[in-house]
Amino acid sequence: MKGAYLSYAAKRFAQAAVVILLAYVFTFVVVSILPGDPITNVLRDPQNGFSEDQIRQIIAAQGLDRPIPVQLWASLSHFVIGDFGLSMRSSRPVTTLIAEVLPSTLILASEAFAIALLLAVTIGYGTQFLPKRLGQGLLRGFPSLFLSVPNFVIGLVLIHVFGFQVGLFRVIEPNSFWATLFASIALGIPVSARIAEVLIANLDKESEQEYAAVARGRGLTQMRLFARHLLKPSSLPVVTVIALAIGELLGGSLITETVFGRTGIGSLVQRSVSTQDLPVLQAVVSLAAVVFVLVNLIADLVYPLLDPRVKLIGNRRYRPTTADDSAATASAAMTS
Amino acid sequence: MAAQDRLTANAFTRTEPTVPVPLRPLPLLRVDGLSVSYGPHEVVSNVGFELGRGDSLALIGESGSGKSTIARAVLRLLPSSGRATGRVAFDGQEVLGISERGFRPLRGRAIGFVPQDPANSLNPVRTIGAQAQEAVALLDEPDSAIRKQLILDTFAEVGLDNPERVYGSYPHQLSGGMLQRVLIGLAILPRPALLVADEPTSALDVTIQKRILDLLTRLQDNLKISLLLITHDLAIAAERANALVVLKDGVTQEAGRTATVFSSPASAYARKLRADVPALNPDRYAALRDVGLRTVKAGDAATPKIEVSAVRKTFTVDGKTLTAVSDLSFTVPAGTTHALVGESGSGKTTAVRLLLGLEQPDSGTISVAGEQITGRSPEALRSTWRHLQLVYQNPFTSLDPTWTIEQLVREPLGRFKVGTSKEREERVRGALADVGLGEHLLSRKPAALSGGQRQRVAIARSLVLKPDVIVLDEPTSALDVSVQAGIVEVLLTLQANLGLTYVFVSHDLALVRQLAHTVSVMHRGRIVEHGTVAEIFDDPRQSYTRSLLESIPSGGAAVAPATHTRPRMSAG
Repeated sequence: MKGAYLSYAAKRFAQAAVVILLAYVFTFVVVSILPGDPITNVLRDPQNGFSEDQIRQIIAAQGLDRPIPVQLWASLSHFVIGDFGLSMRSSRPVTTLIAEVLPSTLILASEAFAIALLLAVTIGYGTQFLPKRLGQGLLRGFPSLFLSVPNFVIGLVLIHVFGFQVGLFRVIEPNSFWATLFASIALGIPVSARIAEVLIANLDKESEQEYAAVARGRGLTQMRLFARHLLKPSSLPVVTVIALAIGELLGGSLITETVFGRTGIGSLVQRSVSTQDLPVLQAVVSLAAVVFVLVNLIADLVYPLLDPRVKLIGNRRYRPTTADDSAATASAAMTS
Repeated sequence: MAAQDRLTANAFTRTEPTVPVPLRPLPLLRVDGLSVSYGPHEVVSNVGFELGRGDSLALIGESGSGKSTIARAVLRLLPSSGRATGRVAFDGQEVLGISERGFRPLRGRAIGFVPQDPANSLNPVRTIGAQAQEAVALLDEPDSAIRKQLILDTFAEVGLDNPERVYGSYPHQLSGGMLQRVLIGLAILPRPALLVADEPTSALDVTIQKRILDLLTRLQDNLKISLLLITHDLAIAAERANALVVLKDGVTQEAGRTATVFSSPASAYARKLRADVPALNPDRYAALRDVGLRTVKAGDAATPKIEVSAVRKTFTVDGKTLTAVSDLSFTVPAGTTHALVGESGSGKTTAVRLLLGLEQPDSGTISVAGEQITGRSPEALRSTWRHLQLVYQNPFTSLDPTWTIEQLVREPLGRFKVGTSKEREERVRGALADVGLGEHLLSRKPAALSGGQRQRVAIARSLVLKPDVIVLDEPTSALDVSVQAGIVEVLLTLQANLGLTYVFVSHDLALVRQLAHTVSVMHRGRIVEHGTVAEIFDDPRQSYTRSLLESIPSGGAAVAPATHTRPRMSAG
């Protein structure tokens, strides 16, 4: 089992690395074949006052006149060691620019993620055990409600109510504790909806299983039944959803940062798009791909640990024929 | 207030005494005027019984009789849509009306529960040990080492060989019999006064069933636990309980001491139930069965319809070679029924797959109706399949729920391009009539049919091709005993009329005795004994066969059936 897991993990790691490299190549190629050459545009900007000769020199020095495959190779070999080159606007290393804004976004995203999980599990618990008269049915409507309200609307409402009316935070201090918390709530709510939807469906399924009744018969309290018996099997499919929800967090953080006036990856991307700062964009896109792949990798690696029934692929030549299998194949084969 | 109303209402509406025999002055469990409904649909009506301390009582009936619902109502584990009225008094305390908070201290501690399906009754993603800790927590033992020792001792007590290994295992790593032992262990661990066992053995093989029931009986005696046993099997109930309550459609048909109800049932329904138990009526279909033999033409009888000789099949799992069947040989004369009996893992299913040509043997030959099955491709086997059909175990999963009955029965005709549209229609109607189903069912979907009707559809589906040989893979194991009797009758009538040859795969020896002509007993992939039904059942030579025969519940000491020819085993 242990050996099987290690070889499985090694395989998934290798796959993840290949995906990241392909994502990098893809963005590089897309940027290269896009019409309009932002680099020459910048250089030819009359304000910069470069002569044709100087432009050619700069381009040659940067290696931009070489064939695309050669450029790709150079860029790729830098990327592998974590070097994204210099920003075209500020001439500072892209890694430095990103490092400046990354902590703020990471704090926002992880707080939002924690809130999303907490909210989803709370809603999930409520749908199972809240008495009907206290709005169990209402609770089931929450995920679709959360999904249908865009998060900038939630953000604006939160700013209006808690920033201006209640006065918990001031909009000019976007990094204060309360401001960050409410930004995270705005970002976390739509993400929680996706998790809650899957969680509720699975809790409904699991709570009807015989083992849940047997565990109740063993005298467990509702809280223990939920926490020890229902939550884990119901969370297994959620692991996959969470991996997808991370994408939502990344996308949502761009909008949330703008609404709450925070500096972060979102504002950096916004600036870079408007100034066509290609190295920064390439770096951010690659980083997003890395995050995505890593989260899915973690999900894949965690899954067999959470569910003891999962059999790892490989090592299986014979599928034991259970009665059900044989019936299905038998009737299928014999009537076809 | 509402409870008061119900009480008075019950006092007036009760027409028969709900308590058959008062066992002790203060019964441990007293159920009085219990009714359960789902929405407007009442599934249990005005049921009452008493269970004394250390005594045992069985609720018997078919599926839909409300027996499990009563158990769930007593345990207060009804689904949220279920509503129970009446009185359930445990140890003198009314428990139906009290709050969940008030009832929880009784759960596990005072009332234990052994469920029906061991495979789905433990949390699949938690270890057995983690779940056992929940049971031992009810004992208020502060020392964790002692708690664990108590668990291991209980596992040993219920007959688990390696308690430490079981403790660390996940449910899917144990067999059904072991899981049921675990569940019984968890239920008795807090030493409850009452154990509710809901069909505790219906998912298990016959020999394991006997061991589990013996275990329950032994624990009940040793620990002075009262047992409320729910079962569809009258023989089991009679063997294991002192009092019986016979239910049909949620209404009590008959109740009383086991000896009385079992040996001289007063109600028509209890008599029918008793007549339908194969173990109690081994020769019920003897006449019909022998008609089948006579209808076969003399020439046919000379050459066997099925010949299996020296077949061997192995599988490779994780680099290890497992022998599924070896040295499998038997012949079946035309128009007769050959039974393959054995427990799970005995190689029955592999034998069926080989016989149908769905799996090719490593060595040996199989021929059906003179045609070689072995060594042919699925395409080449198509013509054979027209004469060789399968009826599968579970009619609840083997029929496409989106198809109508007509489509289902007609499908094989289309696949084998048989006849014109009009002829097909006639054949479909004919096949349905043969299995005793009316034409009004043609446009129905499987969901609208009962289990017995569905299995008849499955039989009609194979019958419509007019095959010579039908392989019946546990065709009644998912059905109630009285529904089973109907299917057996259909099968034997078809055999008598059409001269069909059956291969009947089953673990139910009593049923085999009723309908088979010859028997092969399989154990670990080999045939350990074969012969005619009379030879195997009256004079078994192998100890394995004897142990199988002894496992058949037959009503125990309650009464010795007059038709039984075999020396009786006392089964306490």
